Amino acid sequence: MRPFEYFAPESLADTLQIFSDFGPEARPIAGGTDLVLQMRMGELAPRALVNLTRVAELRGSPTSDGFPYFLSALTTLQKLCQSESIRMRFPALAEAAATMASGQVRNLATVGGNLCNAAPSADLAAILLALGAIARVVGPRGERRIPLEGFFLGPGRTVLASDELLLGLEIPDPVGHSVYLKHSLRACMDIAIVGVAVSLHRVDGRCASASIAMGAVAPTPIRASAAEAELAGERLTPDRIERAARAAAAESRPIDDMRASAWYRRRMVEVLTRRALTSVAEAEPGSGPNGLH
Amino acid sequence: MGASRSDGDHGSRLARDRQTVVGKRLPKLDAPEKATGRAVYVHDVRLPGMLEARILYSRFAHARILNLDIERASRVPGVKAIVTGADNPAARFGYGKDNTPLKADLVRSLRDELAAVAAVDADAAQEALELIEVEYEPLPGVFDAAAALAEGAPLVHPERGTNLFTTYEYEHGEPDEAATDSDVVLEASFSLPYVVHAAMETSAIVAAFDSRGRLTIHSSTQIPFLLQRDLAEALGLEGSDVRVLQPTIGGAFGRGLDIYPFEPIAALLARKSGRPVRISFSRREEFLAAPVRQPAQVHIRAGARRDGSLTFREVDALLDIGAYVSWGTVTPLVMLETTASLYRVPHVRFRARCVYTNNPVTGAVRGYGNPQSTFFVETMMDRLAEALGWDPLDFRMHNANRPQEQTPQGLKITSCGLKECFEALASRRDGQLTSESDGRSMEGSDPHGGLFAPSSTVRGIGFAATLNVGGGARIYRSDGCGATVKVDDFGHATLVTGSTEIGQGSETALAQMVAEVLGLPIERVSVVNSDTDLKPWDVGVHASRTTFIAGQAAYLAALDARRQILETAAEMLGTQPEQLVPRDGLIVSVDGAHSIPLGKAVRGRHFRPDGKIVVGEGWYDPPTSLVDKASYKGNISAAYSFGAQMAEVEVDRQTGKVRVLRLVCAHDIGRAINPMAVEGQIEGGAQMGLGYALTEELIVKDGRVMNPDFADYHLFTAADMPQIETVLIETEDPLGPFGAKGVGEMGGTPTAAAVANAIYDALGVRLTTLPMTPERVLQALDRAEGG
Amino acid sequence: MQRQPLALNVNGEPRQVLCDPRWSLLDVLRGPLALRGTHRGCDTGRCGACTVILDHRSVPACLLLALSCEGSEVLTVEGLATNGSLHPLQRALVEHGGIQCGFCTPGMVMAALALLERNPRANSQDIRSGLAGNLCRCTGYVKIVEAVGAAARELAAVPARTERDEAAVAASGSA
Repeated sequence: MRPFEYFAPESLADTLQIFSDFGPEARPIAGGTDLVLQMRMGELAPRALVNLTRVAELRGSPTSDGFPYFLSALTTLQKLCQSESIRMRFPALAEAAATMASGQVRNLATVGGNLCNAAPSADLAAILLALGAIARVVGPRGERRIPLEGFFLGPGRTVLASDELLLGLEIPDPVGHSVYLKHSLRACMDIAIVGVAVSLHRVDGRCASASIAMGAVAPTPIRASAAEAELAGERLTPDRIERAARAAAAESRPIDDMRASAWYRRRMVEVLTRRALTSVAEAEPGSGPNGLH
Repeated sequence: MGASRSDGDHGSRLARDRQTVVGKRLPKLDAPEKATGRAVYVHDVRLPGMLEARILYSRFAHARILNLDIERASRVPGVKAIVTGADNPAARFGYGKDNTPLKADLVRSLRDELAAVAAVDADAAQEALELIEVEYEPLPGVFDAAAALAEGAPLVHPERGTNLFTTYEYEHGEPDEAATDSDVVLEASFSLPYVVHAAMETSAIVAAFDSRGRLTIHSSTQIPFLLQRDLAEALGLEGSDVRVLQPTIGGAFGRGLDIYPFEPIAALLARKSGRPVRISFSRREEFLAAPVRQPAQVHIRAGARRDGSLTFREVDALLDIGAYVSWGTVTPLVMLETTASLYRVPHVRFRARCVYTNNPVTGAVRGYGNPQSTFFVETMMDRLAEALGWDPLDFRMHNANRPQEQTPQGLKITSCGLKECFEALASRRDGQLTSESDGRSMEGSDPHGGLFAPSSTVRGIGFAATLNVGGGARIYRSDGCGATVKVDDFGHATLVTGSTEIGQGSETALAQMVAEVLGLPIERVSVVNSDTDLKPWDVGVHASRTTFIAGQAAYLAALDARRQILETAAEMLGTQPEQLVPRDGLIVSVDGAHSIPLGKAVRGRHFRPDGKIVVGEGWYDPPTSLVDKASYKGNISAAYSFGAQMAEVEVDRQTGKVRVLRLVCAHDIGRAINPMAVEGQIEGGAQMGLGYALTEELIVKDGRVMNPDFADYHLFTAADMPQIETVLIETEDPLGPFGAKGVGEMGGTPTAAAVANAIYDALGVRLTTLPMTPERVLQALDRAEGG
Repeated sequence: MQRQPLALNVNGEPRQVLCDPRWSLLDVLRGPLALRGTHRGCDTGRCGACTVILDHRSVPACLLLALSCEGSEVLTVEGLATNGSLHPLQRALVEHGGIQCGFCTPGMVMAALALLERNPRANSQDIRSGLAGNLCRCTGYVKIVEAVGAAARELAAVPARTERDEAAVAASGSA
């Protein structure tokens, strides 16, 4: 690991000052579960590391109970799995978090870290995309809001300027049901071969809004807009679901890599989309947002 | 004076219901130290002035070294020594005598060691490493065994003139005639992958020379005495100037069965710097540089008759052994043993070719050819059964090995509980999942919750058996082990054994045997097994031999000590030794009239002018033979262990994902000295077998390991494991100590085959490539459905 | 690199070390603090061997930069046994055969401890999920899970933590 200066500022102003001083050579760190590994491997060599976990404004940001829900970037993945309020309001988000890494890593890893690491397979990104999350970002030029669709640029790259920080995510109050399905080799600890998130709201039996997001099948997590179009205004019949599943597979752009071939990934998009839509379709309309069981 | 093994001795024949230590589920002696984190592993060893060292590996899989410059590296502050090929001693080492600690002119793989730096800390060593300048002339490489045998292939060791290292050829009976006599003949090709040991402790060594020039190493080796000899030769030292210490070992699984370059490299750095040197592998380095299992392409033909009898097997295997040879090159012998002797097969032909490539160096991995060969043999058994219309379990029972049989290969089977293993599976196949009382079991896990849509999953059951050496394995001239037992005035016994505790529980099992013979509670027995200066010779911990052979040696030594104690006790009590037995720390007369504390008898023996100490001695080398070099026939082991496993799987037809719901493991281990430890060995072996079946593969492309980390090399976690039930079959082997046979490797050898056969039962497709990943299963399903 | 002072509480004792900013908590534990019971299995947070408890949460010590632990409370395996007797988890692992080579054991113990603090009524399914981040190559996990279950039953029979402990666990959000 290359030498660096370590900072643990306690105010947002101090934090932004450090980024201003060091420019792109300063990196924020929270749980560090991706960053420390990248630094050890020599992939990244920042001259300054800025520990965000003591910044009053970031720590103090409550995961609120109001509308829309504000999910602080410093929320650990374990908190996502275990917090009662998140499990009630966004069960698919809690379930997605539970499939990631291990309990120990989840106690350190944060929502912000996972999103800013911008892996194409990021499980949180897929479900947050489907939930319509909006990123709140702060920097020396003030705050801005970025819908998550526009947040990722490519593997490891986001739209954040080097002196900007992700404050957290606004998640609209869920209507309908959502589910996240992850296909991986083992029960946990694995990066997704394919991840599919679905959020769907029906009015009078017809689909009023549908979001389908996919991970690990493109350079960034993406929405399956053609699949969504198949569903808009329609009843969720098996045939309609099948068409949406095929559309999602067709618009995915997976590659061959060590974990799976593109062929297999495309197949899994179809299977997972069909299953996710089916489980959401079978969920009782008034039973709350948990679509899976 | 040692005691000789005879049928008239007491210990093993002591009625089981009177045994107080052997056969008990006792906690391991070293468990409390490990539970508190106090156990010292090689990574924990600290010596004054110790340096940390790092190795520079080749950037190319095959290249000439034009220049290597350590000038800038040597000027890094804190660097105390650098070694390169120029520091190599004259001798080559290794099973094929084809290796040197550092490579000078030619590199043959990406794990070839070019230089090594010892410095005051790891950072300085790493910094210096990065400043070593190497000029390469890349050469075309060969990365596939078949390609390596083709005309014009680049030669890995040009002086040999060929990439073929060796060929094993074997025949018994008349396979060609047998083929024409068969009612069904089937054939198939199999592809077996690279896998790794993945012991939780990575490879490491500490080397230090004392002021007299004597070398002491702290190592997690499994072969301390062979390593002592090999290191001495490799370094140009006298064997008496090498001492091997073994701290607590964090898993081995065959990794420690050879001498590897990093070991003499550490010694060379220690010599050059005049200070102790430690090399410890990072996990990434462990994946990149520690030995791996030979990948193999295998073709098999097998036949049978309508009456259910096997007629012949013909196997042709091509093994990629990598750039240098290790003892792992002998794995074809074990593949042969399974091919020729698992089940009763009257006609067999076997050929295995071991081929050099520029791929990673291979070595011994738990099972040593048996997981591979059991996979293809047992898949074919299933296919033959189906072709003949036989139930798969009945077919196996029909052809099972029997006690007191000699196989055509010359294996002398004595105790054999294979039939009982199958019966245990049969009774569980049809019934519901057994209750806790029948065996140790673990509830099934359901990690995916609702992900498996019920209509898309199918279930199946599959079987596979295993034959494993259980009484040593004579692949080296000696298969012996020595032991001494010293007893003191306080009635405490110390067993000094040549064997090694690698985490498998051998230390405790041996202590139990000694305690039983001497009538002591286990708390009064200590075991020393970690210093070649102290302990008697042993060939090593491998081939599941320790319980049997080190056990016999310990047993004999304890008997010898007992004889000495009883002699003195008899004098002190005014009776005859035959009238006395040791019990509960005392020597008591059989009529119950007299007793004396055991320690008192020991004291009485030496506390007089013509006194003697109590030290019992035992040496055991089983009555077996080296296989004949030409025919590969002979009885390699004094006993054979058997087992059979049943896997119940659930397969998702849409994703190809296989979930093992239940694994029943029935194993004939002769006698369980410590049933808890035996189960642990089987359960741990099953974890490796399941990984081999479904998730583990070291992906190597053009000689480069693509997944050198736990993120992409997938071990089964606690959440992935099925319910496991172990059934111990005790056949009381006539030669085994207290009737025991070996078990260490068996747990994982039939597992992949059982799972594959279960997948076939569920889906109707056979997979012949491991691991059976979801993608491969789905591809097979698509092909079968004409997609 | 210039070393910086680091103050933290380890196994109930305040400790101060001079720390290279690049060091992980694991480096500090095994280095200047000479607490070598916590093992380095992979240095990538993927094997669980280095699990310790930091401010009531189980964490992989290899991924934490040491300086980020300023002021924290760390509990390692060395801090468990009281007055020379084993913690029930340790004793259960010993008695149930859940220890073979022992390299994964300290991490397993700490992960199990954190798991049971959070969920004293964990069943074997919960235990297997909770320990999924701790790799073992020797045991197949069977007897580890059994042991943790037995220890859970024993611990459940003992009076609960103090209110202060409960509040601390709740404030940290998770175990």
